[in-house]
Amino acid sequence: MNLDDATRQRIESIIASDRTVLFMKGTREQPQCGFSATVVGILDRLLPSYTTVNVLADSALREGIKTFSSWPTIPQLYVGGEFLGGCDIIQESFSSGELQRSLGVESGADGAPGITITDAAAEALRGLEAQAAGRDLHLQIDARFTSGLFFGPSEEGDLRVESNGVTLCLDPISAARADGLVLDAETTPEGPAFRIDNPNAPQVRQMSVKELAAKIESGEAIELFDVRTPEERATALIEGSRFHDEDAARRIAELPRDALLVFHCHHGGRSQKAAEHYAALGFRNVWNVTGGIDAWSLEIDPAVPRY
Amino acid sequence: MPLQILSEPPPEPEEMIGKLEAAIAEALPGATVEVRAGGAGHFEIEVVSEAFEGKSRVQQQQLVYGAIAKYMSGDGAPVHAVDRMVTRTP
Repeated sequence: MNLDDATRQRIESIIASDRTVLFMKGTREQPQCGFSATVVGILDRLLPSYTTVNVLADSALREGIKTFSSWPTIPQLYVGGEFLGGCDIIQESFSSGELQRSLGVESGADGAPGITITDAAAEALRGLEAQAAGRDLHLQIDARFTSGLFFGPSEEGDLRVESNGVTLCLDPISAARADGLVLDAETTPEGPAFRIDNPNAPQVRQMSVKELAAKIESGEAIELFDVRTPEERATALIEGSRFHDEDAARRIAELPRDALLVFHCHHGGRSQKAAEHYAALGFRNVWNVTGGIDAWSLEIDPAVPRY
Repeated sequence: MPLQILSEPPPEPEEMIGKLEAAIAEALPGATVEVRAGGAGHFEIEVVSEAFEGKSRVQQQQLVYGAIAKYMSGDGAPVHAVDRMVTRTP
């Protein structure tokens, strides 16, 4: 099978667009085949973000990637431009730790993260010692940076971190996501409520309408999504914005995780929620337009009606 | 409208085994190749070749898959899957 130059170049640029690129059937959120789902499950455990390419949506890619890689099956994983293999090989290399080395997420002996436990949290944890019943206190952080605290047995490879007289156990993957984390607590009538502030968690950044106007002006590749209703769009709209519907959501899911995504609504509330959703999916360059289209009318373009 | 025959009937496994062995031997001169048929369209392949020297397992398998790609692409491909592939150096 010959691969035409256009498809070859397209594949090369996709592989170059992110450090980790998975060619799969379906999307990271909805894999369409068990082998693809298995590899997504493994990568989700290891990485907050990576790029997936749905070959079912593109027949040229579906056949092209097989020729490109000299590999007859999907999924196919590329890391740093190198083909690592399909489902079987990825499973094996995950078990052996080789995959973690390739992805740069292994934690060595000096991999213990810096964690701060505040006085309030330390005191609250000591108050729970009766519940511990000799088990270790664990902190787990999943690929979407949802954290959990629980008592349980330790496994080989867990890292121990001490702060403020309290020892936390973290599995190596959680540990890689925890550096700089602060564990705080406040007292409530129901008992202590723990609060975790993790600087590694994906975040939505705020963009003023002036910055947005400058970005549009500069011609920078920007994806501006309008999360308001069609009725609101009919009333007023920012030139170049796209309606955020299901099609748009599907298209965003296929974008590289470092794509510049900007969301706006009327005043900035709904778009903040939408932006948080995409940040949680692993997008690293997600912005909310502060003040929304209302601020745009006031500060940038008075021709856009206020409502 | 007359009925159209959309794809040729699948070749007999023995015939396909011969084609696969020939394609691999052509791509990897001097290799010892053994192909066995599994279920319909499924095969097992074992290749011993000096060309694998110094290569990772993925790279070794890529050499073999590259050699038989023409039998594995498209919807009516005669080779549906390779259930087991073993690559070794002599």
